[in-house]
Amino acid sequence: MRLDEIKDIVCAEIDSKADHLVSLAKDILHTPETGFREFRTAERVAQEFVGMGIKFEQGIGLTGLKGVLNAKDASGPNVAVMGELDSLKVLGHPYADSDTSAAHACGHHCQIAMMMGVGIGLQAEGIMDALCGRVTLMAVPAEEYIEVEYRDSLRREGKIEFLGGKPEFVRAGHFDDVDISMMTHTSSSPEVGKISFGGTNNGLVAKSIKFSGTASHAGGAPHLGVNALNAAMIAMSAIHAQRETYRDQDTIRIHPIITRGGVAVSSVPADVRMETYVRGASIQAFMSASEKVDRALRAGAMAVGGAVTITTLPGYLPIHSSEPMLDLYSKNAVSLVGTGNLHRLSHRTGSTDMGDISQLMPAIHPYVEAASGNGHGIDYVVEDYDLGVLTGAKAMAMTVIDLLHSGGIVGKKISEQHKAALTKSDYLSLLRGMVKEETYTK
Amino acid sequence: MIDERSLKASAWRSIDARKDWLIDVAKSVLANPEPGFLEKKTAELISKKLKELEVSHDTEIAVTGIKGYIDGGGYGPTVAIIGELDSLRVSGHIFADVKTDAAHACGHHCQVAMMLGVIVGLQTQGVMEQLGGRVAVMALPAEEFIDVEYRYGLHNKGEIEFMSGKQEFLRLGAFDDVDMAMMTHTNLVREGKFTIGGTSNGHVVKFVRFVGKAAHAGGAPHIGVNALQASMVALNALNAQRETLRNEDIIRLHGILTLGGVSVSSVPAEVKYEGRVRGATAEAIDDANEKMDRCLRAGALAVGGQVEIVTLPGYMPLLNNIAMAGLFIENSSQLVGRTNVKENPAHLNRGGSTDMGDLSQVMPVIHPYTGAASGTGHGIDYIIEDYIQAVINPAKAMAATVIDLLSEDARKARGIIKEFSPNLSIESYIAMQRARFTNEVYTGV
Repeated sequence: MRLDEIKDIVCAEIDSKADHLVSLAKDILHTPETGFREFRTAERVAQEFVGMGIKFEQGIGLTGLKGVLNAKDASGPNVAVMGELDSLKVLGHPYADSDTSAAHACGHHCQIAMMMGVGIGLQAEGIMDALCGRVTLMAVPAEEYIEVEYRDSLRREGKIEFLGGKPEFVRAGHFDDVDISMMTHTSSSPEVGKISFGGTNNGLVAKSIKFSGTASHAGGAPHLGVNALNAAMIAMSAIHAQRETYRDQDTIRIHPIITRGGVAVSSVPADVRMETYVRGASIQAFMSASEKVDRALRAGAMAVGGAVTITTLPGYLPIHSSEPMLDLYSKNAVSLVGTGNLHRLSHRTGSTDMGDISQLMPAIHPYVEAASGNGHGIDYVVEDYDLGVLTGAKAMAMTVIDLLHSGGIVGKKISEQHKAALTKSDYLSLLRGMVKEETYTK
Repeated sequence: MIDERSLKASAWRSIDARKDWLIDVAKSVLANPEPGFLEKKTAELISKKLKELEVSHDTEIAVTGIKGYIDGGGYGPTVAIIGELDSLRVSGHIFADVKTDAAHACGHHCQVAMMLGVIVGLQTQGVMEQLGGRVAVMALPAEEFIDVEYRYGLHNKGEIEFMSGKQEFLRLGAFDDVDMAMMTHTNLVREGKFTIGGTSNGHVVKFVRFVGKAAHAGGAPHIGVNALQASMVALNALNAQRETLRNEDIIRLHGILTLGGVSVSSVPAEVKYEGRVRGATAEAIDDANEKMDRCLRAGALAVGGQVEIVTLPGYMPLLNNIAMAGLFIENSSQLVGRTNVKENPAHLNRGGSTDMGDLSQVMPVIHPYTGAASGTGHGIDYIIEDYIQAVINPAKAMAATVIDLLSEDARKARGIIKEFSPNLSIESYIAMQRARFTNEVYTGV
């Protein structure tokens, strides 16, 4: 079968299952669950795999799933197509869970549907017989790096080692046989076009911080207390005082939250918890900024005569998309949305664990501009499910076809010529080297 | 028998007779304000006036200080009458020196005039002859503990060791032959004509230097280490500690930045802070000082810079001698009526500090106030309104108190000396103050 014939059949198949795919996305939208807690969402994905007759594994990284579509000749490259299971937490989002504040304010619910759309399309009559290699459909947990204290407790219990889903998939060996990866994220900049691609992202380390003081009656005997909240305030002032030392090109982002700020207003706060990321465009940049943050945190504890325990955990690495993959993808995207609707991204200062994957193999992480509102805000709502699910699925399916057609020659070439920044063992050592726990006391 | 009443009356008549001369001295000093250890013109003026009064005296004690004696008819204790030579610096004070900002915003100009007034009174024919002992008249430099960097420079050059006049006079032995001392400070009119009693805060003084690294503030701030940010972090941290300070300790943490950077386009690499830790007791001061140091270090740590913390011995809490105060109250009541003389309880603390506190640790002293000014102490509007109450009345009250102390062969003075048990000997005082000098360099990494 000719390449364009295959693509036409696959796209038609996706269109024929449009209602099914969009309602899958909307089902997930209404059951938002944060990372490593996506049990209902995972169950929904498992149902789909069963319905499609795809063999799958589950419980990977606690909640992740993986199903494989084999071509008749499975000797070609293995292409992973991913969707992320988890939601954010955003108070007041129109689709937020009233109990947990979990909300799909980043559009991950569409990713699962896109991923399934790729599977459904490729399952069309005769398609996998015409391709060479495998397609691994991965539903990956915990891309949003949140609830650091909770995830750190999972880490300490030995249930996970890393706090993101894809690093956990890597650690457990689920990327060992994968040659090329892709996934598509939603975005909310329709003014730039319908599909955005390329560009880079910040990497990060995360910190879970505990300031320890001494409780005392806040009215009666404040002189006997050591105020952990004041330690945190001083530390935050000190963090801010150093912002002028960051180079623009390093795009440092430091944005703490206080997850515990005291328990009773009449008692001097003795236990205050903070979480923060330290993001930057390069590993060196965010590690250097991380040192400055640690100094500021110690200074807070020092000033009040208290203590601070800083747990630094590896976050995500900067993303570098594969140029040959972007080339294939963008041609397919143009055929779907037209040249004028395709937008090449530059640097973005958010982060994703797709960055980690991009350090190990050729990977792309394009965006479908299907949403409105502010990413991670209360008003981030997917408006265009046709674009957010169907077009996104088609563009990836077409790119998979490019990679695995003709004996997988294009995919093999891209895989062989790719110079990975890190091997799996280097990657794991790098992440493990970032783990640091220190308690500073005067 | 000597009639003390008539001695006082003739002394007061002499003071009244030179009223204009005395007030002119105060106004001349007001017009030439000079901060501590820089009181050259003020000292020259006082020396000239002492010569006019034929009082032999030494000059240039502790740089600018003056000490003279007037002898009584018999041998006995020495009572010191003290006046402070120095001014403050207050930008915008109506009588400020436009070049130096020096200004008598604390009324010291009246003190030296009062001291001369006491001499005028006691020199009255027949007065000193009836007294057993002598009066030391002392014009002392540098009561306001300011210009810390300058004075620390004098210290490093060996020109002074301690940074205030009375501390230096004590060190140099200038109080070794003095048994008791008094001086009167000006106060606001609304506080009453005379106030006596109460205590003051002690303090330590901080001379702090944050050291960073200069860099182009626009072009390469990432290469710099901002010493100004270090100081901001430190001072924010200091403010956060205030809730831990007990009210009864009357802690005051305050300071000024004397160098905050040299050009806006260069990351400040050197920032200087002069600070003060005041408190009612030595323990409270130590505790607050430790908090101050922690915060200063925290500022340096946060930015990865350095801080040099020099801690200098400051003043000790003031203890007014009750018997001397009793005499002063009687005499001042004669002048202004008993209802216009307020006696503060011993524990009442005005929050400020004076090196008269140091002196009070080693000998009986009084440090009353005379209400003659308007405005705010140390503010731009602190102005002496009533020169009779600022100069003449306190001179009379002190002269009369000297007469009480030294008449009848200094019976009352000898009694007070006998009853007095000093907190410290001069020697142990000096040793204690020397031990309070510390110099620490902390590098934040």
